[in-house]
Amino acid sequence: MTLPDRAVLDSGAVLVSQALPSNPFIAFRGSMPAGVAAEGDARGVAEFASRLYLGGTRGRSAAKIANRLESIGATLEFRNSEETLVFQGRCTRETVRETVRILAECLSSPAFPPKEIERVRTEILNDLRLEADDTRHRALRALSESVFPRGHPYGRDPKGDERRARAIRRREIAEFHEAHVGPAGLILAVTGDVDRALVDGAVAGPLSRLEGNGDAPAPIPAPAAHRPRAQWIPLPHKSQADVVVGTQAVPRLHGDFYALHLANLLFGRIGLFGRIGKNLRDEQGLAYYAFSTLESRTAGGLWSASAGLNPENLEKGIRGIRAEMDRLSTEPFTEEEIADGRDNLLGSLIVALERNAEVAAELHRMEYYGLGMDFLERFPEIVRDLDADRVREVARKYFDPRACSMVVAGPVGRTRVPL
Amino acid sequence: MPGTHIETLDNGLKVILRPIPEARAISTWVTYRIGSRNEVPGMTGSTHWVEHMLFKGGGKLKKGDIDKLVSRLGGKMNAFTDTDFTTYFETLPASAMDTALFIESERMRNAAFDPKEVEAERTVVISEREGAENEPEFLVEEELWGLAFHVHPYHWTPIGYKQDLARFDRDPLYRHYLRYYAPNNAFLVLAGGFDLAVAMQHIREAFSPLKPEAPPEPMRLVEPEQRGERRSDLERPGAADLLALAWHIPPFVHDDTPALIVLSTILGGWRGFTPFAAGEWRSRANRLYRALVDTKLATDAVVRQELKIDPALLIANVTLAPKASLDRVEAVVDAEAEKLRKAPPSKAEVDRAKGQVRSWFRYEHDGVTYQGMLMSVMEALSSWDAGESMLARVEKVKGEQVRDVARRYLVEASRSVVRFHAQEVPA
Repeated sequence: MTLPDRAVLDSGAVLVSQALPSNPFIAFRGSMPAGVAAEGDARGVAEFASRLYLGGTRGRSAAKIANRLESIGATLEFRNSEETLVFQGRCTRETVRETVRILAECLSSPAFPPKEIERVRTEILNDLRLEADDTRHRALRALSESVFPRGHPYGRDPKGDERRARAIRRREIAEFHEAHVGPAGLILAVTGDVDRALVDGAVAGPLSRLEGNGDAPAPIPAPAAHRPRAQWIPLPHKSQADVVVGTQAVPRLHGDFYALHLANLLFGRIGLFGRIGKNLRDEQGLAYYAFSTLESRTAGGLWSASAGLNPENLEKGIRGIRAEMDRLSTEPFTEEEIADGRDNLLGSLIVALERNAEVAAELHRMEYYGLGMDFLERFPEIVRDLDADRVREVARKYFDPRACSMVVAGPVGRTRVPL
Repeated sequence: MPGTHIETLDNGLKVILRPIPEARAISTWVTYRIGSRNEVPGMTGSTHWVEHMLFKGGGKLKKGDIDKLVSRLGGKMNAFTDTDFTTYFETLPASAMDTALFIESERMRNAAFDPKEVEAERTVVISEREGAENEPEFLVEEELWGLAFHVHPYHWTPIGYKQDLARFDRDPLYRHYLRYYAPNNAFLVLAGGFDLAVAMQHIREAFSPLKPEAPPEPMRLVEPEQRGERRSDLERPGAADLLALAWHIPPFVHDDTPALIVLSTILGGWRGFTPFAAGEWRSRANRLYRALVDTKLATDAVVRQELKIDPALLIANVTLAPKASLDRVEAVVDAEAEKLRKAPPSKAEVDRAKGQVRSWFRYEHDGVTYQGMLMSVMEALSSWDAGESMLARVEKVKGEQVRDVARRYLVEASRSVVRFHAQEVPA
């Protein structure tokens, strides 16, 4: 595989691209530092703005944008995240120029029409209600709020809350946009049916016309340590409870990241979800899903282990999770497990990057974290160099039950079991 | 689209091979012509339970071997049980083709069905159902199909009823497996980086020794014509009211399907023949979005044309905005259906719909896994290349045909309506 092309436009935007001739269209993924971390105390405003970029520009209405995109068969989506405003889409060789032009127009001259603002307000209020009734969402949200300090962008609900969703006005959204959306910090990754000439002309051309200043983002503060606690959220009308156990993890560029990534793979991802899946699903038959997740970001991260359990099996399930965490000390990962994990990571370089959308996401990640365009070339060496004892050590250190909070959401009844 | 090679082994296994020379991965799909439409009352969910059991080894595969073989290669694997078929896949580095063929050939005839493992899986399958029950959308969906089909097995969903899952034991499940998991009731799809001759030779080595079964009896149940609207009101704790309307439509292979595809795209947007490639993307340039979401009566409105072997449903699902009334939203959907019955859509609208279907067909070719999936689903419904031919027929659809199929199928007297009235969540 040839290395991806990387170009820095005069505006400061970075364009990364790679041809994937076997896939007959183009996928792209981009971001700019206009997510939750940029909104400061103006909670929920980044979410509002992200949902309004398809809501009309100074040149055309929301309906006209949708009609045009769907007439040329392109997709364009905007999404808010903890650190960035994310945009992604698909188009073809023939329609890429117009699609990128529409993307640039949405980002540089949004109109934020009052009618669309009210539509988005309704949507966010409904989402808040729907999520409050969703066991998995409730558990994960409460865990994030517990693990990160109050108000930290990694912990708070990107949508703010009902009061904020009702209170946000057009001026606040427009000011946020003016302050944070512009070519500075913009990354766009493009893959699929592309070549250098197409990227230079049809992508870089329209993108270089992107207007707006966009302040350099303030660094995201590293979250202070958290004090573990347990929280039981009763939702008695549900059939199943979601249990989530977790704690802070390392940032993406931390020296422990790769060892921790492998440890997490073995604990709750590989195959039918690693050690925890084997215990809870395969051996005890307690859960349809049991897995762990590692999300490492710029200034910190979150590690969590999750399971969906019948209320009668809550105690057994929680004990099963605890037992697997304890086993990391009493029965550390074997040489065979670690070898399997290494092989998995190496093989997944091919399998996890077979789709345009997956490659675009990976290219974007490489640029965002400054991993270098040769990262995929270097990755096998990084994996092979991982010391087995180091993997065992980080597993014990970071998957420590005494450092974890636990949230259970669902028909919990009177059950109260410590982790 | 890349060239595709078709061959049928002596034992009846149909093989569909699409070599993609530039691809570094290979996706292997084995699909059985058995779904929940082949189940009988009292055994609902058995096809899906069998699917779970086929990850637990047997023959040359010990328990856990499938998992290990695929994981060590960094591969993806999964399986899906549909109403009409059950399909298994592995996507692996191209050099590991034999691993997938080995797994699938053992899985076809040699699954163990250890009674202890069957019992352990009971709670897992029930847990999967309970997880679905947590979602009001699942409750609505189950109610809707139950309402629209009284005779045909589309009456129940592939997960089955909890009371059946709690009761039936190992032997009928094993018989179900032996009956339907045979080379002459299956087909194999390979997409990715492989040499055609080498692949065919390895497929013969892996699958030719497997003996065919007597062909299964065709499923003969036919749903009688629905006479009169059917309605159901669910009152359950929840966060938002939901509305689902379903109209009966013909099977995938019917001549009216292309015009119905354009109709459903105009009404609620198109997300491809298989829903996976679309992810979270939602169309905004469609009539229900304009009439319901733009007007703040709803926060989501989608239309799904269920492409099935037997006559199925065209479904509109709406998530209501707070304070919007179910009566009002239903009236808006009715009005949109009436507009489609009354006048042909404009040429621009028809062209936009065709453009969407065309583009999604390309997006569904994103990588070897999706290509394998698309060919498998199409073959299960009709023919592996039915997507291409359907696309060609969609291109020829005229506005008048859209109006005609609206008159023929969007009929109030034979529709089913489920209204979910969200009750305040108990403290």
